Amino acid sequence: MNYELNFAPVFANFDHLIAGTLVTIQLSFGAMLLGTIVAVACAAGKTGGPAPVRWLVDAYVEIIRNTPFLIQIFFIFFGLPALGIRFSPNTAALVALTVNVGAYATEIIRAGIESIQRGQVEAGTALGLKRIQIFRYIVIKPALRTVYPALTSQFIYLMLTSSVVSVISATDLAAAGNDIQSRTFASFEVYLVITGIYLVLSVALSGLFSLVERLAFNYPLSR
Amino acid sequence: MNIFRKVAALATAATLFAGFGAASAGAQTLEAVKSRGTINVGMLVDFPPFGILDTSGQPDGYDADVAKLLAKDLGVDVNLVPVTGPNRIPYLLSGQVDVLVASLGITEERAKQVDFSQPYAGIEIFLFGEKDVDVPDAAALAGKNVGVARASTQDTAITKIAPEGTNIQRFDDDASAVQALLSGQVPLIGASNTVVAQVETVRPETYTTKFSLSQQRQGIATRPGSTELMAAVNDFLTKMKEDGQLNELHQKWLDAPLPDFIASTNN
Repeated sequence: MNYELNFAPVFANFDHLIAGTLVTIQLSFGAMLLGTIVAVACAAGKTGGPAPVRWLVDAYVEIIRNTPFLIQIFFIFFGLPALGIRFSPNTAALVALTVNVGAYATEIIRAGIESIQRGQVEAGTALGLKRIQIFRYIVIKPALRTVYPALTSQFIYLMLTSSVVSVISATDLAAAGNDIQSRTFASFEVYLVITGIYLVLSVALSGLFSLVERLAFNYPLSR
Repeated sequence: MNIFRKVAALATAATLFAGFGAASAGAQTLEAVKSRGTINVGMLVDFPPFGILDTSGQPDGYDADVAKLLAKDLGVDVNLVPVTGPNRIPYLLSGQVDVLVASLGITEERAKQVDFSQPYAGIEIFLFGEKDVDVPDAAALAGKNVGVARASTQDTAITKIAPEGTNIQRFDDDASAVQALLSGQVPLIGASNTVVAQVETVRPETYTTKFSLSQQRQGIATRPGSTELMAAVNDFLTKMKEDGQLNELHQKWLDAPLPDFIASTNN
């Protein structure tokens, strides 16, 4: 072991790394937000919708959860243009991540919704609330609180999974690392720094999630 | 004083001896090969599809096939000696091999050390893309998407010439860049002649080469002064190009015809 660390090539390309980090952050937050919307809609459809909607949601969830993400992103970027649907690499990455996290989050949120006791929904009906009001105030908020830890760990996993998107030439943090590595051959140093950045992002994300938990779900449990 | 004189004398003797030795080794190559009955050919074994090891550990590939035919042409047996990129020229110059069929790119620097035959293989990198995309020169790349395999020769070449505003999309390998072209995600890619030939078999008449980014010719190398051997090698290559055997080998190993700029060179 007489390897000499040389971080100069990494720091010389630091703006490239920063740009990549920003893309990773944008992709992650974009997919979390859109994925949550998809998941809440799908979970609502699956627990309270008519049969065809339930089948559709089932099909979506099963297809996505039982196929590799790499294939999904290839399909969206290389396959869909055959049908005339064309995305730029970064948009295709966002779509793929959203579709992927949406399916996992659907199942998580569905579990939360099913944990709400029937009696509470019936109480809402007795009070004369509309269906949408019951879902909004009685079902989804406590459901999200119940499954929040599972949901956030899925989101952190999503951020780490986003490192795959460089295969379709998206310009995220991993792609920036590969670019710098292939130009400078300082693979050890580059990947060490990239690992560090992903670690910082994950820890920061966990911190952010517990802050959100304290702000949004900090009301006493009734059970 | 004395010791200085001794050193100087030794140095002079060594220079003379080395000069004489190299010259004689060179002049005798073809004769030596024929009387030995074996030609020692240096080739790479880590450069597919030109030089590889087959399943039984024997050198194989385009270079090996060319070397075998060369030996047959000279009427001797072939002894394939695996060499590496950095040590191939030293192997040749020190007489451990008689010729190099080692995917050695012909450059001015190397031509100062070894003699090159006419090219027997070559790699040309093109800007390649959809027929109706008009890109006469590098300046016309501005505002266009170009796919390349990350860190490949084409990546380096295009990155160097691309004007501000070119969107270079880097994929993990050539296969993905080609896939992006075929699915219409990028109108242009940087590609080598073998990739171009493969794409044209799959989708003929859809794409054209826009302009050449770089050319590399690979030659068979001998020690300087092995004039007779070099003449024999050149005759052999001319014959191989004329009767289509070299083209066949190229088709076998690279799945594409021998590029024109190699096939048409005869000196």
